[in-house]
Amino acid sequence: MVTDAATCTYAELVRRAEQLAETLTAGEVRFAILSAEADVVVPALAAASLAGAEACVFPPEDGVAPGSQEEIDELLARFGQTHVVTAGGLAPWPPASGAPSPAGAGTSLPDDGRVAPRPHLVLTTGTTGRPRGVRHDWSRLVRATERVRPGAEERWLLAYGLHQFAGLQVLLHVFAAGATLVAPTPRRPKEGLAAMRRHGVTHVSATPTYWRFVMAELRGDGGPVPALRQITLGGEAAPGPVLDQLRATFPGAALSHVYAASEFGATNSTKDGLPGLPADVLTRGEDADVAMRVVDGELWVRSRIGMLGYHGEEPVEVDGWRATGDLVEQVGDRLLFRGRVSEIINVGGVKVHPLPIEEAVAAVPGVQVSRVFGRPNAMTGSIVAVEVVPAPGADPDEVKAAVRAACAELPAAARPRSIKVVAEVSMAGGKIVRRSQ
Amino acid sequence: MSTTPADVERTVVDFLKRLEKLPEGFDATTPLYADGVGLDSLETAELSALLEDELGSDPFSTGDLPQSLAEIQAYYAGV
Repeated sequence: MVTDAATCTYAELVRRAEQLAETLTAGEVRFAILSAEADVVVPALAAASLAGAEACVFPPEDGVAPGSQEEIDELLARFGQTHVVTAGGLAPWPPASGAPSPAGAGTSLPDDGRVAPRPHLVLTTGTTGRPRGVRHDWSRLVRATERVRPGAEERWLLAYGLHQFAGLQVLLHVFAAGATLVAPTPRRPKEGLAAMRRHGVTHVSATPTYWRFVMAELRGDGGPVPALRQITLGGEAAPGPVLDQLRATFPGAALSHVYAASEFGATNSTKDGLPGLPADVLTRGEDADVAMRVVDGELWVRSRIGMLGYHGEEPVEVDGWRATGDLVEQVGDRLLFRGRVSEIINVGGVKVHPLPIEEAVAAVPGVQVSRVFGRPNAMTGSIVAVEVVPAPGADPDEVKAAVRAACAELPAAARPRSIKVVAEVSMAGGKIVRRSQ
Repeated sequence: MSTTPADVERTVVDFLKRLEKLPEGFDATTPLYADGVGLDSLETAELSALLEDELGSDPFSTGDLPQSLAEIQAYYAGV
């Protein structure tokens, strides 16, 4: 594992994990990891898995450091952790509590390294309210890596935070492949691109939004294009124009996208480089770990590798079906994403999906990033609004006119009625926020 | 800084020009809908958002439906 500060071998990671795991067996330890540094987080996660102690990586406020003490205290109180892990190690929480001392060794770890259960807690991004705790078990999570091929020569960039489910997926994939993890901090596109160049990264998994910014950075600095072999997209629908731009920018890279969520795990990896999912995901059968179906235009998932349930709530039903919140439309042999249920814009009674509009806007020359969302309006309830980040040197008025022209053929209710040129768009967890404002 | 009638007229006229809906002989009393300018509901919603962005508030959000440029100007005169 390569970080800004050091390189750490698998042997060293294992040594540090086992050392911490011995301590974690001293009672029922549930701990929060208050660091974004991979060399702190990764051994702590491995130790938790070894000892059967529940860990939770708290989201860093700015990609580097945890939030304010008040925010941390609120999360600790809500999710009931007994300890915290920082760069300084494991400590009881609150400090004066009667929780087991981290200094004392607990019982020995099992000889075969296996305990059960092996719980892990992931916090949602909380874009629609306070974050929820999603309960997982490492034994289920690693099932998704059973088909990972050895790849010791692969060098994966960690573009997600390890507090995110997608970050854990990358970590598990790297471990399963025996590959190298390159983990810059913070995990923004600028630092990610620098790390790709400096450390010879060959494989990158990131959101479409992240990739848009990486390509903008490349255009802006004129530096060498990293020789990537694998580009994976996830977290958001992968629009066709972004896939086209990635193919043109990184001609030597294979393109795939992953459909996954904290709640139901990784359901599919589509390797043909086309938008959406192949429609045959709907006919996988009962034996599949993950099955899908469409109900009233919304994708539903039944997952045996997904969460156990939400913190503080009853476990989810085994083999139960869950609505994903993703709206899809079958076009030929593809299931194309049309947006989130929560992102639908109601324009005078007409339901408008933001993603097709965003794709049209994103293809306009001079547009670096765009965001389509519903803007409240006294006349029609909502109107379609667009925020556009122009490419460097682009004329804002010309960009706005070009966006209007690109959307002129859309149905009247779907045409953007408010177009603003902005310096940046609203993001959460590396994804564009499209819910109505 | 107050919004002048000229500011309002410029915003509305530029908007109608962009829509290619500025009728010959347009003045402050020309009806904005139907046989006047002929704005539909979505175009009116767009004008509402534009006025809010350009002038800081918009008369449509009060629940009224101004019938002409003069009524829009009257709203800003009273703000």
